[in-house]
Amino acid sequence: MSDGPETQAVPTTDPAPAGAARWARLLGAVAVVVGLPLLARWAYTFMKDGDANRFAVVGVAILLGVLGVFALFWLMDEIVDRLPHGWREGARPYVFVGPALVILSVFLIYPVVNTVILSFKDRSGDSWVGLDNYRFVFTDESMLRSLRNTGLWIVVVPAVALTIGLLFATLADRLQRGESLAKSLIFLPMAISFVGAAVTFRLIYSYRPAGFGTNIGVLNAIWQGLGNEPVPWLTEKPWNNLMLMVIMVWMQTGFAMVVLSSAIKAIPEEITEAARIDGATEWQVFRHITIPSILPTIVVVTTYMVINALKVFDIVFVMGSPENNGTEVVAERMLTWFFLRNNDGYGAAVAVVLFLAVIPVMVWNVRRFRAEEAIR
Amino acid sequence: MRLRRVLIPLFALALVATGCGSDDSEGGGDGGGGGGDNTGQVVLLSAVEPEEADAVQKIFDDLINDGADYTAEIEAAGNFEEQFQIRAEGGTLDLAAVPQPGAIAQLADDGKIVALEDLGFDIDELNSTFGESFVALGEHNGKHYGLPTNINLKSMVWYPKDDFDKAGYKVPKTWDELIALSDQIVADGSTPWCVGFESEGATGWPATDWMEDIMLRTAGPETYDKWVAHEIPFNDPAVKTAAERFGEILFTDKYVLGGAAATADIAFGDAPAPMFDTPPKCWLHRQASFINSFFPEDAEAGVDYDWFPLPPIDQDGTLYAGELTVVGSNRPEVVDFLEKFMGKDVQCEMGGVVLSSRISPNVEVGPDCYANKILADASVILTKALEEGTGRFDASDLMPPEVGSGSFWTGMIDYVKGGPSALDGVLDKIEASWPKS
Repeated sequence: MSDGPETQAVPTTDPAPAGAARWARLLGAVAVVVGLPLLARWAYTFMKDGDANRFAVVGVAILLGVLGVFALFWLMDEIVDRLPHGWREGARPYVFVGPALVILSVFLIYPVVNTVILSFKDRSGDSWVGLDNYRFVFTDESMLRSLRNTGLWIVVVPAVALTIGLLFATLADRLQRGESLAKSLIFLPMAISFVGAAVTFRLIYSYRPAGFGTNIGVLNAIWQGLGNEPVPWLTEKPWNNLMLMVIMVWMQTGFAMVVLSSAIKAIPEEITEAARIDGATEWQVFRHITIPSILPTIVVVTTYMVINALKVFDIVFVMGSPENNGTEVVAERMLTWFFLRNNDGYGAAVAVVLFLAVIPVMVWNVRRFRAEEAIR
Repeated sequence: MRLRRVLIPLFALALVATGCGSDDSEGGGDGGGGGGDNTGQVVLLSAVEPEEADAVQKIFDDLINDGADYTAEIEAAGNFEEQFQIRAEGGTLDLAAVPQPGAIAQLADDGKIVALEDLGFDIDELNSTFGESFVALGEHNGKHYGLPTNINLKSMVWYPKDDFDKAGYKVPKTWDELIALSDQIVADGSTPWCVGFESEGATGWPATDWMEDIMLRTAGPETYDKWVAHEIPFNDPAVKTAAERFGEILFTDKYVLGGAAATADIAFGDAPAPMFDTPPKCWLHRQASFINSFFPEDAEAGVDYDWFPLPPIDQDGTLYAGELTVVGSNRPEVVDFLEKFMGKDVQCEMGGVVLSSRISPNVEVGPDCYANKILADASVILTKALEEGTGRFDASDLMPPEVGSGSFWTGMIDYVKGGPSALDGVLDKIEASWPKS
């Protein structure tokens, strides 16, 4: 270290860069050590200031987050370097995985455990009620309807969205031109939030009885154009459930199409060509070559959609009173009981049921994935 | 290497030091009085629309913040119910204007909100300023947790004044006159009532208002209070009588535009629209004081439309709703803000905000504070009801949420769709949904 000043005096000679680099490193280290805590402190007060520009606050938060994570890892690494030799390499992976594990336990494992505990307690979480909350989940009229409806959602939505997506992916593959345009149009709804889509469809399904102004809904306009009376689409049982599913299909078909399309394009042309030369019909090519080749992709897309359908809440919530319309779904029940009716016990029990319902889908998906890996 | 060895602990130390140090860096102003230090900021969480919040904020700026050692802010939360719960439980709530007093009991039990007694308010004084029945809504285990800061009148029947007068109709003073007027309108070849109950996830609430208004007039305030507190069951004969009166309007042939069953699909905001057709397609619409913000923009109060109080049946009554402001943090500036907020000056000024239709529950606020005659007239009726104790708060906002914002809403829709024969089943179902314990 003592050679620093001398080398700095002659910056062009060979050892100089090493010395300068050393100084730069030292300065950098001092800057980090002194600067970061100061920065953190300043950022803390700045972000608490209610008058501060929102974007500036977001910017500072991002900056602090990134630098903070960097500083944390650097610090941890340095601490590991100080450990006895034998421990060092054993400890290092845990040091790097550690923060992720801590975050995972705080934000995932702890809430799950706490929810399970709450599901055995009463509405305010004070006393134990045994299985009462679960008895409610499987006997309440409205809850049973929500279980039935969610069952329908996870079958109908993935099935329809996949079928249409596959159809479009196959057909768009044959387009001479405009393939990307056609695909973009179908993909577009993916960019809309569920609530946004639901509000849009409220207008499409809008209904006003005679005397309350003209009907402004597109669907009723078409329906009346065909010579029928306007229909309250969102309250007409049991079809209103399908009307809600249409929204999710509309949003997810584009996703299925894009993913499946890329899978189809990845099928080696030699195989399909060979089949055609051997006299296979288009249907046989599709059935015996295309489908088996893209099966893994279909599985992944299906899983994604099933989980999405299990989580559906916004669409149902925005489209009228689920209890009157018979359109309850499990996630919607959970929020209604937890937040609107302040019954933590019921809400938690519904959440646990929903959580358990997702597990088989995940297990199936992981198994499938492992099997694929084994073949490769 | 040696350098690093020194730097690392230093760095860690510096992090710890700043982490601990930042707590006392703020505030430190003039305490005195309440429990905590003045943080210089008071946030009133509220369920109002953003435009209304802007107008209220301006009043705060002019009348409270000017010259105060803190800044009061109104925050319009789109998801008020969730935000209120989260902040109260998390201890970050200053004040909240709560439209559903039913939420207070649990938070008071958990010690998440502060009693007015502990903040130094005199309940007798509040009783004479806001009327005992309204102040009592914030009471829990002998202490009061909510202070009335806003009220709106529900017992209002709107009518198209110019056409109404031209047709020679008279404002009814009794229920029988109201029914006679309805029959007259049917005889003249038109439809008397416009009714709409659709309100997205809250569909059914306007129907519960109807029920409560009638219940107050048939059973009287004492029975009404028992009904709210579940001291009589929901399928009690008194409740059934009120529901049957309601059915008298709903199910009489040609009384309701589009028929009773369709009312569940008519958005409550769209419902009064046919009243402004020429000639009107309906003549009467029962809805709270805010509904005129849904009327056509060119409709003029006092000319194109006016209102009369829903007439008495077996007795008179006044149904209202409103907000109780609860306090989550005992700090001197919060108390100071609340005193000014409920005071005559600020309340009077808020009556002038046209787009909010706010009426003050403070009986000292006179009718000349209000932006228009509609609000002024309503305030006179409300003040009288608060002083005489004939007014009652919206029952569904007081009942447990399973009922008040659940089975009561959906039950009323089942009733209007199912007709008179569905009534017994509906009342039994609501009774069964009342939470045990």
